[in-house]
Amino acid sequence: MNTEKSETGEGKKRSGDVIVETVSRVMVPFIQLFALYVIMHGSSGPGGGFQGGVIFGASFVLLVIAFGIVNAGDRFPEAVNTALFSTGVYIYAGVGLLCIICSFGAAQYLNYGFLSLPVHFEERRALGMDFIEIGVGITVMAVIAEIFFNLAWKKEEDEGEE
Amino acid sequence: MKLISISALLFVIVLGALFIYVAEDIPDFGDPYSAPNCCIKLFDVDAAGLMDDLNQGVIPESLADKIEKRGLPLPIRVESIEEGKWDFFLVPEEKQQAFYPKEQKYYLIKKEGDKLGVYRYSLVVRWIEEGEEETEVINMVTYGLADYRGYDTLGETSVIFTAGVSVLLLLRRRGKRPEAK
Repeated sequence: MNTEKSETGEGKKRSGDVIVETVSRVMVPFIQLFALYVIMHGSSGPGGGFQGGVIFGASFVLLVIAFGIVNAGDRFPEAVNTALFSTGVYIYAGVGLLCIICSFGAAQYLNYGFLSLPVHFEERRALGMDFIEIGVGITVMAVIAEIFFNLAWKKEEDEGEE
Repeated sequence: MKLISISALLFVIVLGALFIYVAEDIPDFGDPYSAPNCCIKLFDVDAAGLMDDLNQGVIPESLADKIEKRGLPLPIRVESIEEGKWDFFLVPEEKQQAFYPKEQKYYLIKKEGDKLGVYRYSLVVRWIEEGEEETEVINMVTYGLADYRGYDTLGETSVIFTAGVSVLLLLRRRGKRPEAK
C-alpha cells in the first residue's frame, strides 16, 4: 500500500490499526488462492463458479475495510472491473457458441461434447463445464466488487460533502 | 371495519392451516422410496398369469396393452432386479437418439400382494445413475448445474450481470473521484 499518501493526505481515511492492515494484507492472497481452488474444484468436490466468485469478491471487500476505499480503489481500476463482468458472460455464451461452430452446426448450443478438444466425448463435457465455471466466477467476482465499491464510494462522497 | 378485521383473521387462520397441511404432506427428507426420489405409481394390474411371463423375461401382452392405452411409451425389454421387482426398458424415439443413445430404464413393476403395481421412474434416478458416466464429473450438483441445466445457469449469470449493470448505472460517480482532496 501507498503509505506516503496516507500520512499526508487528509481525505485518505484508514482504519488506522496496524494489526488489521497487516493481517488483511497477508490474508488476501490466500483468500484469492482459495477462491481459485473453489472455482477449479467445482467438478470434483463442493464448489463452483458462484461460490468461488463470491469468495474472490470478498477478498476485495476485506481490502476496502482495512485500507479504506480511496487506497484500495486504486488497486482495482473500475474500467477493468466493468470490462470483466461482461467478459464472464461472454466466456459462458462463447463456449456455447463454440460448440455450434466446432461441429459445423450439428450440435446444440452448450453441448460441450462437440468442442474441438483432443479428448473423448465425456471428458470434453467435463472440460466445457470447467470453462463455463470460470466465466461464471469472473462475472460474480466483478459484480460483487462493483456493487461494494460503488456503495463505498457513495458513502465516501456523502461524508466528503458534509 | 369490524367485519374486515374478522374476515382478515379468518383468512390468516385458514392460510396457516393450509401451510400446516402442506408441510405435513411433504415426503420425508431423504426417503429413497418417495415419489420424487424413486418412482410414481401409475396403475395396478392383477398378477395372475403375468408372473410367469415376467420371470421368463417376456413383456406380457395385456400389460403392454394397458400401458399403450394410457398413451405411455411402450417398453421393449424386461430385466429382473430382485424377487418380485422388474425394470422395463424402452428405446428412445429416433429424433432423441442423439441425446439418449441407449435403452432407458423407464418402468418399475413391483409385486404387491396379488397385484402388480406399475411405477414410472423419476428423473432423479437417471440423473444419479448415469450422470457420472455421461459427463466424467463426480459431483452431481455440478453436472446438473453446468451441463444438464446449462441454459438455466446462463440465465442466472445474466441475472447477476444485470444486477451489476443496474448498480453501475444508478450509483457510479460521473468522473469525480474524491481523491485529490
